[in-house]
Amino acid sequence: MSVAVAVTDSPEGRLALESAVAEAQSRSTGLLLINLTLHDFDTEEVPPGLEVTVINRSGRGDRDPVAAVIDEIDEHPEVDRLVLGLRGRSRVGKAVLGSVAQRLILRSPVPVLAVRTDRTRS
Amino acid sequence: MSTGYPRRQSTSAASTKFDLPHMGSGRPVHRLGVIATVATFGGLLFGYDTGVVNGALEPLSEDFGLTSFSEGLVVASLMVGAAFGAVFGGRVADAQGRKKTILLLACVFIAGTLGCVLAPGAAFLIGARFVLGIAVGGASATVPVYLGEVAPSEKRGSFVTRNELMIVGGQLAAFIINAVIFNFFGHVDSIWRWMLVVALAPAIALLVGMLFQPESPRWLISQGRTEEALAVLKLVRSPERAEAEVAEVTHLAAEDAKESTGGLSDLGTRWVMRLVIIGVGIGFFQQLTGINSVMYYGTQLLTNAGLDSGVAIIGNIANGVFSLAGISLGMYLLNKLPRRVMFLTGYALIALFHTLVALTAVFVPAGPGQAWTVLAFLVLFVFSMQGTVGPLTWLMLSEIFPMKIRSFAMGICVFVLWMMNAVVAQFFPPLIQGMGMTATFGMFAGIAVIAFVFLACLLPETKDKDLAQFERDFKAKYGRK
Repeated sequence: MSVAVAVTDSPEGRLALESAVAEAQSRSTGLLLINLTLHDFDTEEVPPGLEVTVINRSGRGDRDPVAAVIDEIDEHPEVDRLVLGLRGRSRVGKAVLGSVAQRLILRSPVPVLAVRTDRTRS
Repeated sequence: MSTGYPRRQSTSAASTKFDLPHMGSGRPVHRLGVIATVATFGGLLFGYDTGVVNGALEPLSEDFGLTSFSEGLVVASLMVGAAFGAVFGGRVADAQGRKKTILLLACVFIAGTLGCVLAPGAAFLIGARFVLGIAVGGASATVPVYLGEVAPSEKRGSFVTRNELMIVGGQLAAFIINAVIFNFFGHVDSIWRWMLVVALAPAIALLVGMLFQPESPRWLISQGRTEEALAVLKLVRSPERAEAEVAEVTHLAAEDAKESTGGLSDLGTRWVMRLVIIGVGIGFFQQLTGINSVMYYGTQLLTNAGLDSGVAIIGNIANGVFSLAGISLGMYLLNKLPRRVMFLTGYALIALFHTLVALTAVFVPAGPGQAWTVLAFLVLFVFSMQGTVGPLTWLMLSEIFPMKIRSFAMGICVFVLWMMNAVVAQFFPPLIQGMGMTATFGMFAGIAVIAFVFLACLLPETKDKDLAQFERDFKAKYGRK
């Protein structure tokens, strides 16, 4: 069993990583860190104290981040949870651009844990 | 016109990580020279085919009864073809190999040239120029890559520079050949066909010559054909160096693959989008300096200002000479001046000389006096443009993008650049006819001022910076917190 997390270059991505670390710790499993940003993660950026596998996005085959994540989950059958970061989007933004998160939720073969940055909770 | 496609050099760790034996001397060096000579025929053709209308246009226009709008279309169709050739040429070269692609482009050069030379009417000519444009754009994307991959790391820069010089040299050659043909054989019907047919010679030389040149070792390694790559390296390096270089080339091939990682969805990242906007702006404004209106319509401008066509076509050679001189100076300045200083100085000078051209048309009465004054300011504009903004644009585009989205981001910028080239080519003749020289060059001056402000506000400095560090700093500054 293992937790996969899609880390984008944004506050949502950082929040997703934090949440995934907590999830993996509470379930005592490893973490499959799928790095969707445009830089390769170095060791300082990898959370300590966990068994982490870092997958950096590389090459034309990984151009679509959704395909990159789904391919990795297919290749790692031990993954049974995917963690994603979401943010509120404007109407215009929704009309103009497709959402990576939405496509991931719809296509993920494993249950998805979605965390949101702009949540307000008392 | 300086439309190369340089590779960024500072990210390749070649110089630091790989301690390589000397590249060798004697036979391998001679072989490299042959490769460079043959491949840069691609650059020469690029220059000749874009420059030849400057001089061929007038007899052609009389022959086919063109209006200023259809004149624009004849010139611009090549640039539209080039926009597609530049974007898709790289893809073909990655899939099929550099050598095969250049051979294919040579065939397209030959077919396109024949189509233009034998064109029965304007519509056919426009189509044939579009086809020729695909070859021009393809060559602009493929030849520098091939040269950079065959050359040893310490010679990479000078090989790519050589191609740049051949492009501008090709334009100058076209201006000179046009002037000679027109002044000696101007009475012959359809003399423009003879001006265009000259391009067949370098096209055939490229085709035949490339048959005997090796495939790029870097591409062979990217395809897993290491044995063949080593055989090629042994051809162009000393035996020790060839063995030693396989590791470096393998590393570089892997880096290349990374460059095509990012795509459309990465533009959603704010700091990446910001860089792409800057890059698109750099390409957009480079063409709106109007450099190519001089390169394509210089002869016509001088005729309009009051010179005889025979004299105008000779006067136009000055544009080619100053272009070549400017780009030589520019290549030297690239290593001396900070990028921002060079860019801003360039646009300031461009605005100045455009203003002077515009004022000349107002204050100097039409006739040879006006024409020579216009020519003086035009060559000063060409010289300052090619000495700064021309080569710098390409260098900047190769430096500012994060490595993993470089291929996609540069594709967008290069496409925009060629399309703006087409827009200027299309609308310059109707603008000159409709608004006159003063308004048209006044407009160019205004656009140069806008470019100055745009770059002053947005352009980051990259000179002497480690590009990976630049990437991190830019992200820290403009990324979403």
